[in-house]
Amino acid sequence: MSKELRFLIVDDFSTMRRIVRNLLKESGYADADEAEDGVIALQKLRNSSFDFVVSDINMPNMNGFQLLGEIKKDEKLKHLPVLMVTAEARKEDIVMAAQQGAAGYIVKPFTKATLEDKVNHILTKLGLK
Amino acid sequence: MADQAPTPESDEATTAAVHLQLGALTRQLHDSLNGLGLTAKVQTWAGEIPDAKSRLSYIARLTGEAAEKVLNQVDQAKEQHDFIASETRRIGQLIVQDPVAAVAKGHVMNFIDDVERASKQVDEHLTAIMMAQDFHDLTGQVIAKVVNLAATIEEQLVQLLIQTAPPDAVVKAPPTHEQYTPALDGPVVNAEGNPDVVTDQSQVDDLLASLGF
Repeated sequence: MSKELRFLIVDDFSTMRRIVRNLLKESGYADADEAEDGVIALQKLRNSSFDFVVSDINMPNMNGFQLLGEIKKDEKLKHLPVLMVTAEARKEDIVMAAQQGAAGYIVKPFTKATLEDKVNHILTKLGLK
Repeated sequence: MADQAPTPESDEATTAAVHLQLGALTRQLHDSLNGLGLTAKVQTWAGEIPDAKSRLSYIARLTGEAAEKVLNQVDQAKEQHDFIASETRRIGQLIVQDPVAAVAKGHVMNFIDDVERASKQVDEHLTAIMMAQDFHDLTGQVIAKVVNLAATIEEQLVQLLIQTAPPDAVVKAPPTHEQYTPALDGPVVNAEGNPDVVTDQSQVDDLLASLGF
């Protein structure tokens, strides 16, 4: 049996964290932790082991772009896939996320199928599924 | 001495005087704002108020849609629940009457299939209800922007009041509070005719595909 993948969900709205967490659980990914901004996320990523990050962009203290940048700069974390799930719908934000190394981009509001498809697609691409 | 009844001529004179007075006040306000360098700021507020109105409309629309969605899903889930309850009663009676026949004729297996299907549908409705709560995140971001605008206007008005107050007036400035400055734009409240934003996930996927992702 393969190792259960561990997710970190980063969003400043607790409602959205719960929604994403429940959807991941329904898709078979029950092991997840949460962080309310980029600073807390980075602390958790450095102090614990994760396989996948689902992050919002517009957050206080450290936004999703900054978090993505920090993850990709860090030798120990840069392999982690980061899926952006955000209300930011400007094309330049999407392009910037892709250029910074995001593994995927979902605009809110989204459906259960969209999240499941993107997560599975990324995991398959990385050989984790 | 008795009051004189107003004549059309005196009415006209009063109206003209009020007009003159209003004109003078407007000019005075205009000059004051100009003198204080606030004209540009007032123009900015005027420009932001329609934006705040469309943001509030967006909140009203999203919360309305969420409520509608939840109520529809609850109606459908309740129908499924009622079905499970009535089928359970029916199969219970069949088992009490003749347990062997209930199994042999397939009533029990049919019931199990029906309950399984109905439970799956109830679960889908519950997921849809959960998804409908995403309005909290989207409207929360928009509310923060409107609150920020209101706070800015309030602070500027207080500043104007302090600067234009007579020398002997005591005006207590309100405590300054930390402004919430969203780092980014948040949800697009009016995407119509805006080529710089995407309106759904398929456009995001197309854009990323065009970049080779």
